[in-house]
Amino acid sequence: MENFSEVIEIFFSLDNFLAIAIGVVIGVVIGSIPGLTATMAVALALPFTFSMQPVAAILLLVGIYKGGMYGGSITAILIRTPGSPASACTLLDGYPMAQQGHAKKALKTALYSSVIADFISNIALIFFAAYLAKIALNFGAPEFFWLICFSLTIIISLASGSMIKGLMAALLGILLSMVGLDDVFGSQRLTFGSYNLMDSISFIPLLIGLFAIPEIIEFYRKKAIPHIKAKASGAGLAFSELKRCMKSIVRGSLIGVIIGAIPGTGATAAAFISYSDARRRSPNKANFGKGEVEGVAAAEAGNNGVAGATMIPLLSLGIPGDVITAIILGAFMIHGLTPGPLMFQENLSLIYALFMGIMFSSVVLLVVGNVAIKYFSLIADIPKSILFPIVLMFCVYGAYAVNNDTFDVGLMLAFGVLGYVFNRAAIPAAPFLIGFILGPMFEDNLRRSLLIGSNDLSIFVRGPITWFFIVLTVGSILLAIYRYLSTRRELRAGTGTGDEAP
Amino acid sequence: MTTSEPKRRVKVKDASDVIAGVVLFGFSVVLIFYLVPNYINEPPILQSPMMSPQWLPRIVGWLILVFSILLILQGLLVEGSNEEDERTIEKGSPRRFGLMVVALAIYVTLFEVMGAVFCGILATLILFVAHPVRTWWVYSLAFVFPIVVTFLFVEVMNVPLPMMPFWF
Repeated sequence: MENFSEVIEIFFSLDNFLAIAIGVVIGVVIGSIPGLTATMAVALALPFTFSMQPVAAILLLVGIYKGGMYGGSITAILIRTPGSPASACTLLDGYPMAQQGHAKKALKTALYSSVIADFISNIALIFFAAYLAKIALNFGAPEFFWLICFSLTIIISLASGSMIKGLMAALLGILLSMVGLDDVFGSQRLTFGSYNLMDSISFIPLLIGLFAIPEIIEFYRKKAIPHIKAKASGAGLAFSELKRCMKSIVRGSLIGVIIGAIPGTGATAAAFISYSDARRRSPNKANFGKGEVEGVAAAEAGNNGVAGATMIPLLSLGIPGDVITAIILGAFMIHGLTPGPLMFQENLSLIYALFMGIMFSSVVLLVVGNVAIKYFSLIADIPKSILFPIVLMFCVYGAYAVNNDTFDVGLMLAFGVLGYVFNRAAIPAAPFLIGFILGPMFEDNLRRSLLIGSNDLSIFVRGPITWFFIVLTVGSILLAIYRYLSTRRELRAGTGTGDEAP
Repeated sequence: MTTSEPKRRVKVKDASDVIAGVVLFGFSVVLIFYLVPNYINEPPILQSPMMSPQWLPRIVGWLILVFSILLILQGLLVEGSNEEDERTIEKGSPRRFGLMVVALAIYVTLFEVMGAVFCGILATLILFVAHPVRTWWVYSLAFVFPIVVTFLFVEVMNVPLPMMPFWF
């Protein structure tokens, strides 16, 4: 009871409410600008928190994080430019929906899925923090290695057209992630003597190049057509549609919670896994990738389900789950706090005040998100001939801002050309991106496992967790092959019938 | 009238898959036999070949080689789906595309020399002309946006961008 009054006293301060509101607004705005990520916004906001109270400071950063996670989906849906890596999956169905005149529906779906997932993630943070963190604590390098293997096999199901092209794209992504200095021996890998490549290829130029530039190139390569106004003010999301998506949202949220609670994975992987899972289970699976509302819901639920859960290992173990939580960890330390089990004993009131603030941020996200849809959807009504030169400017500025080097601008354009070639050859970009993200994690855990096991390969089958992931990985591969073969068989049977019919 | 010649010729079902497969096959061969041995340094002593910096790139290279052969076979034997037919586009004027290339080149070559504002204005104007935008006041946006966005980056968000050389 004494704690409760203290929690109320800490939380019910105008500073905290303002911090959450401002944080979410900044997050949504920054997240929706291509090239500016939530990570960059959180990092840039950190110096502003020096003079703030610890709870307000942390809530400001958490607000930016959550706002940024949702904001990234706005431009992904409207102009096929993910504002953050995690929303790359949202554009798979969000952008086709916008093209079909259902931009508002897609944005509303993204918002409601984000808020619901965020809420579920927060509940998980509050009730299951210690339990889930305990499971994740049992993961060593071999377990992570198999977890990543399993994630890589999911790429197969992401390749909507040809499984071979999906795998090829993933392999190219993995190969590209190896450019730079080798972590163990420090030897150069495919850097060709360039200093700019030694620190590996920057993620932001790659992301912008792959997803924004091909759209611009194609616009100027294609014959000019009269501007058709995107109906961003069209029909919203019907309750029946939300109800239909509910299972995917809840499953996506739980996937986000589990992945978010495991340090080292992230929102992007959660979004793709959730999307893939929803596609596998949905009766409308054929519509995925062509503007399926459930696809947007699953992707957003996956990436927002991570937001609260990444705080689980951070608060209970002091282990940051991703880059943003690492920055938040820095904010804790600036204010003289050390997250971990001891903090639950020494600063319990502060932790509960944070929990309240984090829960409140979901409500703020709902309000700010609704306003953002009203105004940010105006982007969809601007003719592409006006919008694309401005988007290109944001892309160039964003790419340059990573390292303050025009090399990254050139890199972004090179990836833009590659993305355009991928589009022309119908090679999916999503597996390429996933390969690029998971490649270094795969290699790192492989080598760490070998070092731990003194080069004895039996370390990869050392316990029930590794076996669990091995079974999942093999099962996923077999399932993908079975699906591929049965689709081809159905296609052949269909063609055969069609031939015979006349 | 009919000859046996067309029957003997292998009919390519999807030419772009075959082209992509051939390009990737060539790339994988160059990667495995030239790039990996010459551009990835290997330490003299290794406890396990799997620890080598060359190990994973080589594995990836071989896998690309295998899948590129499969892609060629797919292009030769499997009919392209309707989804992939959407790849065909009606090309616009070369002038429009050329102006876009010029705008991109301006960003790459002049960004640090002339600054973000100048490059932003010039490239945006070129792209407006390329389409072309017929509403005259829209051209004012080509001046307003680069200035406002540069200000936002530099002053509000503390993200340094190159300024015009005569700015202090």
